[in-house]
Amino acid sequence: MLQFIVRRILWAIPVLLAVTFFTFALVRAIPGGPFDFAGDRSLPPSVVANLEAKYHLSDPLWQQFCSYLIGDTVCRPGDDSGRASKGVLLGDLGPSFRYRGRTVNDIIATALPISFQLGMMAMMLGIGIGIPFGVLAALKHNTWIDYSATLVAILGVSVSNVVLGPVLIWFFALKLGWFPVATWAAEPLFSGIADKYIAASEQIPMWVNIIPKPTVDFFMHAALPVFALGTALSATIARMTRGSLLQVIREDYIRTARSKGLRERAVVVRHALKNSLIPVVTILGPMFAGVLTGTFVIELIFAIPGLGRHFVNSIGNRDYPVVLGTTLLYGVAIVIANMLVDITYAWLDPRVRLE
Amino acid sequence: MATLLEVKGLETQFFTQDGVVHAVNGISYTLDEGETLAIVGESGCGKSVGVMSLIRLIPIPPGKVVAGEVWFDGKDLLKLSDDEIRQVRGNRIAMIFQDPMTSLNPVLTIGKQLTEAMQLHLGMDKEQARKRAVELLELVGIPGADKRLDEYPHQFSGGMRQRVMIAMGLSCNPQLLIADEPTTALDVTIQAQIVDLVKELKEKIGMAIIWITHDLGVVAGIAERVIVMYAGLIVEEAEVHDLYGKPLHPYTLGLLKSMPRLDLGKDAKLIPIEGLPPDLVDFPEGCPFAARCKYRVDRCFTENPPIEYVTPTHRVACWRWEAVHEELKANGGSHD
Ligand SMILES: Nc1ncnc2c1ncn2[C@@H]1O[C@H](COP(=O)(O)OP(=O)(O)O)[C@@H](O)[C@H]1O
Ligand SMILES: [Mg+2]
Repeated sequence: MLQFIVRRILWAIPVLLAVTFFTFALVRAIPGGPFDFAGDRSLPPSVVANLEAKYHLSDPLWQQFCSYLIGDTVCRPGDDSGRASKGVLLGDLGPSFRYRGRTVNDIIATALPISFQLGMMAMMLGIGIGIPFGVLAALKHNTWIDYSATLVAILGVSVSNVVLGPVLIWFFALKLGWFPVATWAAEPLFSGIADKYIAASEQIPMWVNIIPKPTVDFFMHAALPVFALGTALSATIARMTRGSLLQVIREDYIRTARSKGLRERAVVVRHALKNSLIPVVTILGPMFAGVLTGTFVIELIFAIPGLGRHFVNSIGNRDYPVVLGTTLLYGVAIVIANMLVDITYAWLDPRVRLE
Repeated sequence: MATLLEVKGLETQFFTQDGVVHAVNGISYTLDEGETLAIVGESGCGKSVGVMSLIRLIPIPPGKVVAGEVWFDGKDLLKLSDDEIRQVRGNRIAMIFQDPMTSLNPVLTIGKQLTEAMQLHLGMDKEQARKRAVELLELVGIPGADKRLDEYPHQFSGGMRQRVMIAMGLSCNPQLLIADEPTTALDVTIQAQIVDLVKELKEKIGMAIIWITHDLGVVAGIAERVIVMYAGLIVEEAEVHDLYGKPLHPYTLGLLKSMPRLDLGKDAKLIPIEGLPPDLVDFPEGCPFAARCKYRVDRCFTENPPIEYVTPTHRVACWRWEAVHEELKANGGSHD
């Protein structure tokens, strides 16, 4: 098991390096630069040139890539600006071009915990609703229960959050006033630790921010966005579960189980469910990675300061380090998610060995 | 011997998009306690559906037992409630299936699959069931039983898996074991081992067996009586030696001729039956075998012959069985 994880991580390194390289090349291939505009006004060429020099954008590309990767001290010796990057390999994602004075690491440390909390709760809701409903629909195959579950699932997939989000806000927040309209309200569970960093006016480390204090306020704020995102996920999960279970229920070993005189419930729970979850787990992996690193639409509608908007805005802003940083983060999330998928496979299916 | 099972006019159909599949079309037979009955016939003739209908293992929908009675232990199994039929399944009537590769659950240990029927029907706790599972595996000739219980099906060979299936079938001491082509998916040497194993177990335990196969060669060694099925009908039934010695149905004759036989040596020609079985959706009006039959007359295309007893133990559904019989006698009793 440990060997498997180590091997997977070693494998991920060249993949992530390739991702870094191509993203680096692609983002710079987009016309325009990070300092073309300040707000709505374009900057005078001399200012742009100054800024570009400050961020080393006028250096040769190979040198920029080199110092992005392994740091200024190696690739740009003699840099005494005091902002020398340590390089991605040491976990330093560099400064943001757009948010002056903030590093990409700071941005991620602030925004990722919020997206993570939202995504985690939505995933739990999605799995918690999706799998039971999928099973129910499969068991009541071709009855009105199946049809209505399928209808709801199709609605869930096709009614986009762009529609559902505002409807939820209008009805439950504005009309009924049960929930706050928008924003996120997470306080770190370990507020003592967080306070120390605030007192020293330092960036609070990510791990402190990730676990929220379970306050009423937190859940009230989370309810609508989690519901919107979670139901959308559950629709996909339910459809997969139903399809997979209907497949498994036709297998020979299910007939064997029935021939023993087991109750239908035991047949499904003991003999069919585990097998039918194997393909479901496959889609859960990438879904997990995508949702945990931020969902643009939901975060936008509910004004949640998560990571989702950075994925999108950084490209428009030509904020190269943020584009690279978020993309790499997503890459890492995918690698971890796939590893979890494989571990889950091995747990579900004894034929799969982690070697 | 007392009658254990009496099947009367069993009819099973599948309601599919292409129409109604007439899989089993009114079959009747009986089985005595401790008797071994073979059911033979080409693939698709309704053997599996016929026996699965007995314990109501047909998938509903699309399947449905549309007529008939299945008397077992004083009750009509087709009229039992779902709960009552579950008491019979795996307990009084157990079944083993053709493909041991796919008939065991790949994600559960052999032990779990073997003990669950005993816990359910015999009220054993985990420990008792496990102890008996070890005995059962030893009984079916799997060495190192105690360790192997914690292994998964993929760790067993095909023959070993079929032994596990047999152990599972026998776990609650059934009065009837239905074996649906248990050796078809195995290679020849393993086939023989499994046949021998079942014979040996039958001596020890004394349950009745319905042994389904499409291979008449296997039948001689194991069964006392044989039913030949064609297109969802019983076309002939006889004691084993009568069926080999005095077959009366042209289809049975065809099956015998297409069977490899050791006594005739390697050079003996195998003559397959020409043509295909009829479409079970668009069922023919007359005898379903008429289109492929050498002995057919006009009547065969308009009237389906009912099955009738020729001797007290031998029945056949053919207008021309006398012609078949005469021809065989003229050839000195040999059908080769
Ligand atoms: N689930 C099903 N749906 C539709 N037709 C079926 C189904 N199961 C069996 N049949 C049909 O019933 C007929 C008899 O099948 P079966 O009893 O399995 O034959 P065999 O003699 O080879 O065991 C076949 O024509 C088969 O196509
Ligand atoms: Mg069959």
